[in-house]
Amino acid sequence: MNTTSNSQSKTGKSGRWKFWLSLLLVVAAVVAMVAIPVFVIMPFKAQTAAGVEWSYRLRRWSPLATVAATILFLTLCVMLWRGARWPGRLAMPALLAPLLAVTWFARQNHFEWMFNPLPTADYARAGEAGSVADSDMVMAIEINGDAVAFPVRQMAYHHVVNDVVGGKPITATY
Amino acid sequence: MWESEVEGKRLTFHLAGINNQNFIMRDEETGTWWQQVSGEAMHGPLKGKKLTQVDNDELTFALWKRENRQGRVLKPDERVKQNYETADWEEKYAKLRVITPVDPNDKLSPRTLIAGLVVNGKAAAYPLPALEKSRLILDNVGSDRGVTPLFIVLGDDNKSVRAFERAVDGRTLEFYVKPGISPIQLTDAETATTWDFTGKAVSGPLAGKQLKKIYALKDYWFDWKIYHPGTRVYTLGESPPQSKP
Repeated sequence: MNTTSNSQSKTGKSGRWKFWLSLLLVVAAVVAMVAIPVFVIMPFKAQTAAGVEWSYRLRRWSPLATVAATILFLTLCVMLWRGARWPGRLAMPALLAPLLAVTWFARQNHFEWMFNPLPTADYARAGEAGSVADSDMVMAIEINGDAVAFPVRQMAYHHVVNDVVGGKPITATY
Repeated sequence: MWESEVEGKRLTFHLAGINNQNFIMRDEETGTWWQQVSGEAMHGPLKGKKLTQVDNDELTFALWKRENRQGRVLKPDERVKQNYETADWEEKYAKLRVITPVDPNDKLSPRTLIAGLVVNGKAAAYPLPALEKSRLILDNVGSDRGVTPLFIVLGDDNKSVRAFERAVDGRTLEFYVKPGISPIQLTDAETATTWDFTGKAVSGPLAGKQLKKIYALKDYWFDWKIYHPGTRVYTLGESPPQSKP
């Protein structure tokens, strides 16, 4: 061990590769964590019960894990920066980019990018609903005398509508 | 269609994924994942809970409007209107792939539309093609927990389906569709009462009586059978199994 030759005592040359490896592993781990559920939970693919369960776990923890990974990553960068040469200094932002991307993605619901949720449910009177054809299907409910129709063509896009019908909070799904 | 309160807590649901072509929803309050078709919590803090179903009809707009002049209709979202399904969406969907395993001995093709119902813990499925031919099917559905005489009927729009119990005051009736009448009218062999599509006796000896509605879901066969294994599939011309006294 040569502790006198260099001022960066904490990250002395011999141990630096471990920090670089950690940097890579941190990024690889959270990228995998965020990417796996995207590939498992894909339309027109079969899902297994275990696949769905693991996707749930990964989605559940990825918002927290990505932030923790980012903090860890930046800490490692600070430790490595001073002793690093230019290729190393370039590698740091290059690795940070995917890390930030997945940190952001972990907070997104990409299914709602494709199928926008309905911000507020507005209604028309039965006789004034110009957007619905007579032959269109509707999902109809009646609670406490409040009769509401959810046109299937709209529901097949939004999939979920949260609202109150006849004083009861309901969720229409299709 | 579900009640969105679970144990006194109001949940707000979002589309959150897909599980073998049936979607997964997530509530923003607890983060639990729910299966849309069954209302069951699959994973998360509320795992094992089940949402309470709100019975809904699937009707044509014309038929619903006829029955609910004072009703209200969900308005389209102007921002995404162009993404809504086109009028021919049913034909389009019927051609989509099915990714769940297909049983070669299955009487029905995966994308056959069925009207499914569950009574006394027993599931029964009535293929839409059979309903289109016979319009009204008399059946008895049940197990040792009890048998319920019922019928399922297709509206004169060829799309709207309703099911009702066919016992009135302890007497089981045989229902028929009156031919050539629009809107559709039903009658029973025992009393010759006239009934409408809402299950109400409009004239005749039993006028004023209301049949008890049974929740029937229109679904693709491949999807229904995943969540209702052991479903009895009705075949055209089959006579209803005997109801025990």
